[in-house]
Amino acid sequence: MTQDKTSAPDGVVRYVDGAKVLDYLPHAFNVKPSSRYYFWLMAPALIVLAAISIYPFFWLIWMSLHNVGSSAGETFAGLKNFEKLLTDDKFWNGWILLFQYSGFCMFFEIGIGVLLAVILNGNRFENVLVTIFLMPMMMAPAIAGLVWYYLFNSTFGWYHWLLQSLGILGETSIIGSTDTAMAGLIIVDIWQWTPLITLITLAGMKRVPRDQLEANMVDGASAFRNFVSITLPNIFPFLLIGIMLRFMDNFRFIDVILALTGGGPADSTNVLPVYLFDVSFRYFKLGRGAAIALTLLIVTIILGKLLVRVFEGPASKRTDMGS
Amino acid sequence: MFNKPKDAIYTSISRRRFLELGGGVASALGTGAIAVGLNSVMMRTPVQAASSPEAKMKQYAGSKLVFMSENTPPSFAIRDKIKDFYDATGITVEILTDDLPVVAQKVGIDMKSGKADFPLVYSQDKPIGAPFADYFADLSKFIKDDTLPQDPEGYGADVWFENFLDACGYMYTRDKLMAFPYDAAVALTFYRQDLFEKYSKDFEKEYKYRMEFTPKTTWKNVLDYTTFFKKLKQAGQDVPYGYAQHHGTFAWTTQLDIQRMMYAHGQWNDFKIDDRLGSQKPGPTNWGDAQSVEIMKRFKELADVSHPDNLANDTLQLNTVYQSGQIAMQVQYHEFAASVEDEQKSKAAGGKTAYAPCPLGEASWIKNGGKAVNGTNCGIGGISINKNASEDIQRAAFIFATHAVSKKVQYSVLTGLGGTPTRKSVLAEPDVVAARKRPSKMPNALTFEAVYDYGIKDPHFVLGPKIPENNEYFKIIHAETQKCVAGKQSPEEACKAIKKQTDNANDI
Repeated sequence: MTQDKTSAPDGVVRYVDGAKVLDYLPHAFNVKPSSRYYFWLMAPALIVLAAISIYPFFWLIWMSLHNVGSSAGETFAGLKNFEKLLTDDKFWNGWILLFQYSGFCMFFEIGIGVLLAVILNGNRFENVLVTIFLMPMMMAPAIAGLVWYYLFNSTFGWYHWLLQSLGILGETSIIGSTDTAMAGLIIVDIWQWTPLITLITLAGMKRVPRDQLEANMVDGASAFRNFVSITLPNIFPFLLIGIMLRFMDNFRFIDVILALTGGGPADSTNVLPVYLFDVSFRYFKLGRGAAIALTLLIVTIILGKLLVRVFEGPASKRTDMGS
Repeated sequence: MFNKPKDAIYTSISRRRFLELGGGVASALGTGAIAVGLNSVMMRTPVQAASSPEAKMKQYAGSKLVFMSENTPPSFAIRDKIKDFYDATGITVEILTDDLPVVAQKVGIDMKSGKADFPLVYSQDKPIGAPFADYFADLSKFIKDDTLPQDPEGYGADVWFENFLDACGYMYTRDKLMAFPYDAAVALTFYRQDLFEKYSKDFEKEYKYRMEFTPKTTWKNVLDYTTFFKKLKQAGQDVPYGYAQHHGTFAWTTQLDIQRMMYAHGQWNDFKIDDRLGSQKPGPTNWGDAQSVEIMKRFKELADVSHPDNLANDTLQLNTVYQSGQIAMQVQYHEFAASVEDEQKSKAAGGKTAYAPCPLGEASWIKNGGKAVNGTNCGIGGISINKNASEDIQRAAFIFATHAVSKKVQYSVLTGLGGTPTRKSVLAEPDVVAARKRPSKMPNALTFEAVYDYGIKDPHFVLGPKIPENNEYFKIIHAETQKCVAGKQSPEEACKAIKKQTDNANDI
């Protein structure tokens, strides 16, 4: 079958196996819209974005430079709110705990999530099992926090009773000790969000080229080798999405922590977003809260960029190889 | 869109235009419905001083108010019987309830943003009243207004229990009355009398004095009792632990927990201020002095022999632990007696629990030269009116506020879900007097002797600090005390950390 194309005033003329075919295009479709046209198309979205995001952002900056407290009236504070953060032990402790919390959650969620995806991929019960695994993710985080609060409770909690019966726990509940409370939060996060990583990884595994896998196996590679050399590099872009989502969630979500420990006991789970919530909406020091929020925002952006760069390397290399 | 005769003289409406108009109307109606649904609505029939009492009550008939309150029995009971108020006034009141920290957040955001979505506010003295004092209306002007219905008993300090009006009604100045005492949570000791009787002889053999609870029982005795129960437990006996403290996630009750022990020893106070008024500039805190370090040390000693999950229990959870028979004593608020005496839910019910004042200070633990008292503290919940609301909404809200703190309603709440009266006259009712003895139809009344006849009287009663930074101050105490209890820092370090952070919060 041969094709040849020439343009005509009202469209495109094609010749398919010698037969003339005219694809008619209306005149308007050929006119390149002006930039003003695109601007008006985007205007509603820009207005909404400005209202819900840009305006509050500048308002946040304004508040960070003022004393805004529970009593009436605001006064200009300059950089005092930021200066106070330098000597605020809870602020720095919050950062350390946040990195611990986020790091452990991501490590286990990626590890278990990918493992589950490998097990589920191509399994005859894949659809049923994926549906079951996704259930925790469908639960509102605040509800998940309450459910686990009751499960961990030393007076009537079923998990506590089970772990105590097995001799793993004593009479102190997992969230009642400064040594184990963080582990309790991490368990809940892993339970709820590992399915997301599994789902994303599964989607990536469906796109791994079979020819590469088969060629590698013909060359005598083991299943493990196949996974490391072929599957893993191919799913890097998908993992990047999962890691970015979870990383930013961990820096934002405080529902479970507030329901389970409220940052305690003894500040052992007082990660920075929880401290930010306390400062802003419990102490009503909105100026200081705004300063903390800005630092959190800046660090999140920087870390996000770094993550993209780290994962972009292998992902783009793989794309280059493929092309 | 629609059929149009050929000779029609009117302009037809296109489908697109019809949909645009329909969408606009629907949006406007939706927005309006949301606004009306969430906010208060005002209808007014003007009255004069000479108008009948009924006309004064009905002057805002058809209006709607929203009351944001804590999830405590008085609010549940008033909500259950809200029809009585509607019948008398024609005003609809929606009562929303939540945990106290959530109430503080919601009303704080509402008032700070200049709005009045909650014209009626539950203003507990320290977590809500002290930080947001600027935003509450002055009730004095309504009390003097003869076009509004007034309570026949009045609102003077003498009609309420000692210091209750000061606790929630006045913040930093007596020029403005910002709340009426609505409910009260006063601390006292709940203890398992059956267990005390059972083990008294064994205890006496070892400690050479009787295991009992009286107003003379000291914190040192509590430490001994708790140690004794722990030894029995470790010996494999089927007994509960002796005691547990208030920790968990409720910062303000941890502060109250250690404050009453501090006050019992030499009447130690957090700041050098008059607690009845509080202060917006409290100056340096007393934390870090010899007395505070000594009591922090004892607080940790008590924690070491208490229930092993001590740090996980907030005030509500602590009561559940007591109800489930896991501890033999708790210092708890008198509103919890109703749940402890509930035979369906409590292993401590059926006459097993007895009530006593908070423990007395131990003379040998006093370092500041003061006297030993039964340090008793409280949370006095006020009902206040949001100053951002319009004058008419404030007036309508006042009608509800006076209803909510009336003798009739307080008596009704006490006989229903178990209230905590703030008006003296309620306790004089014959039913209430009879209910102080078992079998009681009003379980909370079993605590009245320890609370109203003893605990709230001078010199035992401590109101606690009223400062704008209260919520941060409570959180500081909560975290540093828990670090000490968990063995992460010494009592000296804990007290110094509290002082440093508190003074910093107060811009010292």
